[in-house]
Amino acid sequence: MKSRENLIQFGLLIIALSTIVILLLIALFILKEGLPIILRVGIKGFICSTHWSPQQGQFGILAMIIGTAWITAGAILVSLPLSLSCAIYLSEFSTPKVRGTLKPIIELLAGIPSVVYGFMGMVILFPLIRNYLGGAGPSILTASVILGIMILPTITSIAIDSLQAVPHSYREGSLSLGATRWQTIRMVILPAAKTGILSGIILGIGRAVGETMAVIMIAGNSVIIPKSLLDPVRTLTANIALEMNYATGDHRQALFATGIVLFITIIILNIIAHTIARGGVEK
Amino acid sequence: MEYKIELVNLSVYYGDFHALRNINMQIGAKTITALIGPSGCGKSTMLRTINRINELIDGTRIEGKILIDQKDIYHPKTDILQLRKKAGMVFQRPNCFPLSVYDNITYGPRVHGIKKKAELDEIVEKSLRATWLWDELKEKMKKSALSLSLEYQQRLCIARVLALGSEIILLDEPCSALDPITTLRIEELLVELKKDYTIIIVTHNMQQAARVSNYSGYMLMGELVEVNETSKIFTSPQDKRTEDYITGRFG
Repeated sequence: MKSRENLIQFGLLIIALSTIVILLLIALFILKEGLPIILRVGIKGFICSTHWSPQQGQFGILAMIIGTAWITAGAILVSLPLSLSCAIYLSEFSTPKVRGTLKPIIELLAGIPSVVYGFMGMVILFPLIRNYLGGAGPSILTASVILGIMILPTITSIAIDSLQAVPHSYREGSLSLGATRWQTIRMVILPAAKTGILSGIILGIGRAVGETMAVIMIAGNSVIIPKSLLDPVRTLTANIALEMNYATGDHRQALFATGIVLFITIIILNIIAHTIARGGVEK
Repeated sequence: MEYKIELVNLSVYYGDFHALRNINMQIGAKTITALIGPSGCGKSTMLRTINRINELIDGTRIEGKILIDQKDIYHPKTDILQLRKKAGMVFQRPNCFPLSVYDNITYGPRVHGIKKKAELDEIVEKSLRATWLWDELKEKMKKSALSLSLEYQQRLCIARVLALGSEIILLDEPCSALDPITTLRIEELLVELKKDYTIIIVTHNMQQAARVSNYSGYMLMGELVEVNETSKIFTSPQDKRTEDYITGRFG
C-alpha cells in the first residue's frame, strides 16, 4: 500500500517537474536561436537602432519597442479609470449578490478570443476614428482602446480582490469617526489596497505587451517612430508573427532575439508584480 | 438633572432576532458607565446604537429613542456624521488605519473639514498628550501606526477619537487584546479622561468595571437587568440575576 502511494507521488512529481522543464527548454531554444545575432550586432545596436530592414542586414528594433510602449501605456490609460471605478463599485457599493453575478461576467471578457477583439476594432473603431479624427484607422489609438478593454478583466478582478481583502475593521473605524463612505474609500480603503491594485496593473501591462493577434489587426504594423496617436505602429509581438514564416538566416535569428527581449520584459514584470503583492501581505 | 445620554424604551432587532429589549437608561455627563454581562447579552449592540455604527449590519431595526443632549439621534433630520463626531468609538481590537501616526490622528479632523497644517499639528499634540503618547511618538509621526505595539495602537485609537473633538467616548471591550499591565494603563487613562468626557465602556471583565466605572449596568439576554452606582452593584445588587453573575455563579 505504502509503495503504491510513493509511486503515485513520484509520478505526480515527474509531471510537475516536466512543466518547468518545458519552460526551460523554450527559454534555452529562444536564447540559442536569438543570442548569436544580438552578440554580433551588439545589444546597443539591436535595441537602440531604429533601422529594421532585414534585406539590408539591418536589425534595430527600437521602433517596435516604442510602438509596444505607446500601445501599452495607452491601454493602461484607457483601462485604469474603467477597471478602478468598476472594482470600487463592486467591492464597496454593490450587494454581495450583485458582486457575485457581475464579477464572473467581467472575468468572462478575458475568455473572448483576441481575434474577435481585433475584428471589433476593425469593424467599429476604424470607421469611427477615420471619420472623426482622421488617419487611416489602424493606429496607436485604436490598439490602445481595444487592448485597454482586453486587460480590463485582469485589473478589475485583482482590484476587487484587493479591496475585498481590506479588513472590515478599517471601514467600521473610519465610518465610526463620521467619515462618509467616499472619504472612507479614498482615504483608507484605497491606500490599504494600493499594493494589490498595483500588482494587478502590472499583470495587465504584461498582458498588453504580450498580446499579438488583436494588435496585428488594428495597429497598422508600420515600422516607424510614431508622431501622433493616429500613426500606425508595429509591436514586438507583431514583428515576430508577421515575418517569421518567410524569415531565414540572420533575419530569423533577429526575430528570435525580439522574442528574447519580450521574454525578459514579461519575466521582469511578473517578478515586480509578485514582489509587490507579497510586500502587501506583510504590510 | 439633565442627562448627557438617555435611552428610552430602546429595542433593537437583527432581522427576527430581538437583540435589545426595551432598555431605559440615563447617563450623566463626565461619568464612566460600564456595561457588563455574558457574551451575546447585547452590551456591544447597545454601545453601537449610540454611534449608529450598528446600521452597517443589514436588517438592523430599532424602536424607541436615544437622546444625546436632549436630541433624538434617530430623528430623520439627524446629521449622522456630526453624531459620530460627537460620540466617537473605540473597538475591541485596535483598528489603526495603515497610515502614519500623524495621518491616523488627523483623520477625524480632516474628514470633518479641517485643512490647516498648524491647526492639525495642535490637535495632534493635544490628543497625544491627553493619551500619554506624546513623548513616545512625537519623533515617530511619519511611522506607520501598524508598527506600534498593540497597547500604543489602542491608545492611538483613543487619541483619534479625542482629536475628533468628541464629547462621548464609547469603548467596546478596549482591553481584550491587551495584557494585564497595559490594561491597567488604559484604565488609568480612562479615569483621567473622565474629567472632560462622558465614557461608556463595555467589558466582560468585572474587576475592570469595578476599578474604573462610576455606574454599572448588568445586561442579560438583551435586557438591562439592573443599573446603579458601581459600588452598589458589586456590594448589594438588587436583582438575583445580577448577584448570581457578580458572585461568579453564572456567566
